Amino acid sequence: MSSYKIDIPPTALSTLKSRLENAVFPDELEDSGWAYGAPLADIKRLVARWRDGFDWRHEEQKLNAELPQFTRDIEVDGFGTLNIHYVHKKSERGLGIPLLFVHGWPGSFLESRKIVPLLTAGSGDARLPVFDVVALSLPGFGFSEGPKKTGFSFTQYAEVSHKLMLALGYTEYVTQGGDWGASITKEIARRYGGEHSKAWHINLILAGPPATQDPSSYTAIEKDGLARFQEYKRSGNGYYRIQATKPQTLGYSLADSPVGLLAWIYEKLVIWTDAYPWTDDEVLTWVSIYWFSRAGPAASLRIYYEVEHAGQEVGSTNFHIPTIPLGFSHFPKELGRIPKSWYHLVGNVVFEVEHDSGGHFAAHEKPELLVGDLQKMFGKSGPAFGVVLGRNGYDG
Amino acid sequence: MSNSFKIAVSSTDLSALKSRIESATFPDELDDAGWAYGVPLTDMKRLVARWRDGFDWRQEELKLNNELPQFTQDIEVDGFGSLNVHYVHKKSDRGAGIPLLFVHGWPGSFLESRKIIPLLTKGSGDSQCPVFDVVAISLPGFGFSEAPKKKGFSLSQYVEVSHKLMIALGYTEYVTQGGDLGSRVTAGIARRYGGMHSKAWHTNVLFSMPPENDDPSSYTASEKEGLARWQEFQRSGSGYFQLHSTKPQTLGYSLADSPVGLLAWIYEKLVSWSDNYPWTDDEVLTWVSIYWFSRAGPAASIRFYYEVAHSGQALGTKSSPPTIPMGCSLFPKELIRIPKSWYPGVGDVVFEAEHDKGGHFAAHEQPELLVGDLRKMFGKVARHFLRDVYSSLSVSSFTFFYCLQAKNDGV
Repeated sequence: MSSYKIDIPPTALSTLKSRLENAVFPDELEDSGWAYGAPLADIKRLVARWRDGFDWRHEEQKLNAELPQFTRDIEVDGFGTLNIHYVHKKSERGLGIPLLFVHGWPGSFLESRKIVPLLTAGSGDARLPVFDVVALSLPGFGFSEGPKKTGFSFTQYAEVSHKLMLALGYTEYVTQGGDWGASITKEIARRYGGEHSKAWHINLILAGPPATQDPSSYTAIEKDGLARFQEYKRSGNGYYRIQATKPQTLGYSLADSPVGLLAWIYEKLVIWTDAYPWTDDEVLTWVSIYWFSRAGPAASLRIYYEVEHAGQEVGSTNFHIPTIPLGFSHFPKELGRIPKSWYHLVGNVVFEVEHDSGGHFAAHEKPELLVGDLQKMFGKSGPAFGVVLGRNGYDG
Repeated sequence: MSNSFKIAVSSTDLSALKSRIESATFPDELDDAGWAYGVPLTDMKRLVARWRDGFDWRQEELKLNNELPQFTQDIEVDGFGSLNVHYVHKKSDRGAGIPLLFVHGWPGSFLESRKIIPLLTKGSGDSQCPVFDVVAISLPGFGFSEAPKKKGFSLSQYVEVSHKLMIALGYTEYVTQGGDLGSRVTAGIARRYGGMHSKAWHTNVLFSMPPENDDPSSYTASEKEGLARWQEFQRSGSGYFQLHSTKPQTLGYSLADSPVGLLAWIYEKLVSWSDNYPWTDDEVLTWVSIYWFSRAGPAASIRFYYEVAHSGQALGTKSSPPTIPMGCSLFPKELIRIPKSWYPGVGDVVFEAEHDKGGHFAAHEQPELLVGDLRKMFGKVARHFLRDVYSSLSVSSFTFFYCLQAKNDGV
């Protein structure tokens, strides 16, 4: 294990600046707004800021100061050793519940930034549980090494995540995940649930449909959630289809054009959130992590391909359902949601919260709400209180 | 009013491209990925190296200008104002050629007419063989045509501008050939202007929905295989289509800013959609350079998909088939092949040829085969649709007679 500080080499910074200085923009149809994709005015403004004004060194320093980071080698069956980057912050008081936070795409360990202090804080209400937080960079993302061979799918993402927790001395732990993190933590719950993973919480719930359905029984919210998912499949999953089939072809663009990468990610940051007031520097920090990532931006796309080709696509019901306690947090602008009658396809739901604001990037958009949910779920009167032996989030 | 046109990419643009390529950054690649994840890294590196040093655009440009007489003219499109349209126009070497409009698709261009034009305009030497006047348009947003500035420029508009170009060139009657998106445009022309103006149409891509009383058990082995290829295309080869149809602008930033990204995006289709066509690097680079140097930029061309998807004209939308005579050429590696029983939904098929080699870019991969089909069809079709009009006349060379008639009509 090694302590880690993000330290992007000066050559990488000047290369980026040079690329941005030579950026070539497409035109745009009149009055197209967001309909055809990210608007030109937004992208030009962001690129201008990225080129002059955005201070990566300053952002890097802040990240290093806020998030204690490390790397360690983890062996993955059939894939050799991968050097994994992760954030690890222990609770400031008591015995923190070990919580593994798993990001998705286009997310990263950065999504843990706002929830880490809230989850670990010792100064808060002593009636609330505290956590030890581990936020890994999935292989191929952030500053983790990417796999070199084909076939690295849910099994492997789950394995590396689980082994990281064990390596940190957490033989029992709980998980939180959104986007791919929801599927990966589901795989963790399946493979390691009971003995190691003791409970799991997700903010993206997609599975099914079950063999028999009764649409007339769906509530208005449930119908709306299904409709949102249908609309996503109709008009918002082009990125998914290309990433799941030809990630390398797309990868040449994302590796060679920071402008292309910015547009590719920024579009999701805006349309998947609930009117979140992104600042330009916030967006640029997020995208810079992809641009400066250890494996490069093309590597992160491969998870879509691998999952598709392992027959494990989102919603597939081919595997046994985990039995450990499961908690859901529903945010209205998530990409979709399933009716309660389908929950048995996902897991053993013991906790569920409905929010009236927030979207896909819950930990970033609504950190207090998400953390509040985790505190309720795992707190003294919560349904998952004390699941981790000896570390219940309170003193002794 | 048509203006003579010669492709003349500025030296600033050429050096800007070279400079972009010199600073290219490549992704890594998984071991033994082959073509499964997309274009292999070695292909890309080799092509980019050639594009940077060795590929001579000026020479390619010169050759194109020598081979293909090009023009531009302003065409008014209802609701979109005037668009300056680029096209190739070559008249037949003898007699009055049958006016043929060739419509490309994506990632094609007017370049796809390059090999078929000499064959179509010269004929085979046999006086019975029809010759053609060929017009190969650059669809708005492609090649050296201007692109629309407003939303909603969909099939109707592509149909309108293509037809109006033929009229502007003095061809009140004409026939069409189209593949890929060009197949949809020419189908639209056949529907809207068929009979009075478009007299017959030929395509190498047929698509329609199954008829009501469809009987899958009656499909031949070839037909089943063709449908299976289409299923596979939808499963693993249509990501580009989904993306173009929903977020073309988002992708456009990459294609406009990265020649490497554009090269990969197009090259993948050139290889995977053709039938073992032996692409030379310079051939690929010429093809992609037309997109890079296109008047409207590479992001404009993909909007076609979005507009079609949002105008209720998506593939599979029910619409009445055109009634004018139709011909099709089936190439084994085309993306889709429908059973014969679905043909009534496509049109009135009076000519069909099946080949044992060739893919999606038929005019480029198998020009002799495609032209052979057009010669057979339009020789035959001219007789077919002329029969009613000239039933009392004896025709020694029906094609020659047709051409005479066309001339008498003031074409």
